[in-house]
Amino acid sequence: MITAERKPIDEIRAMIAPYERVLVLGCGSCVAECAAGGEKETGMLASTLRMAAKMEGKEVLIQEKTLDRQCVKDFVILLDDVMDQYDAVLSLGCGAGVQAVAEMFSEIPVLPALNTEFLGETREQGYWVENCLGCGDCMLHVFGGVCPLARCSKQLLNGPCGGSREGKCEINPEVPCAWQAIIDRLDRFGSLDRLEQIYPPKDWSRKQGGGPRKITREDQQR
Amino acid sequence: MDSRIATERKEQAGKQIGAAQGRKRTLALFYCQNTPESGEEQRQALEKRHASRLKLFPIPCSGRLDPLHLLKALEEFAEAAYVIACAEGACRYFEGNLRATKRVDMAAQTIAQIGLEKERVGIVANSRENPKPLAKLAEEILDRTSELRPSPVLERPRRGKGTKEKKHDHSRKKTH
Repeated sequence: MITAERKPIDEIRAMIAPYERVLVLGCGSCVAECAAGGEKETGMLASTLRMAAKMEGKEVLIQEKTLDRQCVKDFVILLDDVMDQYDAVLSLGCGAGVQAVAEMFSEIPVLPALNTEFLGETREQGYWVENCLGCGDCMLHVFGGVCPLARCSKQLLNGPCGGSREGKCEINPEVPCAWQAIIDRLDRFGSLDRLEQIYPPKDWSRKQGGGPRKITREDQQR
Repeated sequence: MDSRIATERKEQAGKQIGAAQGRKRTLALFYCQNTPESGEEQRQALEKRHASRLKLFPIPCSGRLDPLHLLKALEEFAEAAYVIACAEGACRYFEGNLRATKRVDMAAQTIAQIGLEKERVGIVANSRENPKPLAKLAEEILDRTSELRPSPVLERPRRGKGTKEKKHDHSRKKTH
């Protein structure tokens, strides 16, 4: 899923300062799972902003709403009936959600309340880790299900380096060494021989080389 | 710097006024239903005794509390919002009170970011050996919060720039 964190309140207040009627818009998908932009977080942010406005003696309209998904136009269109009531939208969606709303309602500013972070996994409650770069050319089958690009600090395809200490990375003893995990897993499968092969540098053209990526599936289209 | 000193003086003055008048602040009190003498009859009697100064919210466990509950209370009617939890190790759901503590901390940090005193939210853990009844704990929290100045959130808004009632002309600004 896509992870995100809320921006500092001061930054958000500065963004919405020019507007008197603001819709705080949550998203019930990835950012709800990482407790950054779901219904609860949207309610908290809207409540906090209303209190801040009252303390400043400002009479502003700040209302909240949460869509099931902000990055799918079928859901974003549900805002069509209410959008006229607002000067701006403060989105708690990921970057894709913010842009989907902005594209559909091109005459209203859509402001990001979150910093979108990474593709991650919920390792445990309240703890999310990055484990995919979305490179467009997955090699997890080679590396025992552990991605060296996302999880090795040096993004080594032919590791480990000399900085692995007791299963931890030299950049920070709290960071697990991805290559230790790769070797442990391949050893378990009896597949360590895969590491005798030299892997060439990654072909990054499938990630960013060709500009913004898109996927077209005619069988899914109307 | 001057404005900070002025704010501190203002807060100090507010506390002194509050204490001198013995004026109790409006309190939203969320309490674990495991608290002694916290049944529905006691709740109603306690609210009646304190009139509009106390609003009680029973919850099955303090772990049910969400920071949003505290924020909404502060926004809409309360000058302080507190939680009564079981003592550490006494939660019937094992860690509800520990979670509540973290959530209260989060609410405190959130209100501090907009300039509200952190003391407007709090959690009180009951005693494990001699648990106090709801009425006694509520009195103690009301006394504690009486030192707070009136809530700037609940004061009537000052008239000024941007406070005029806006006509809904439904015209969108082209800002980008």
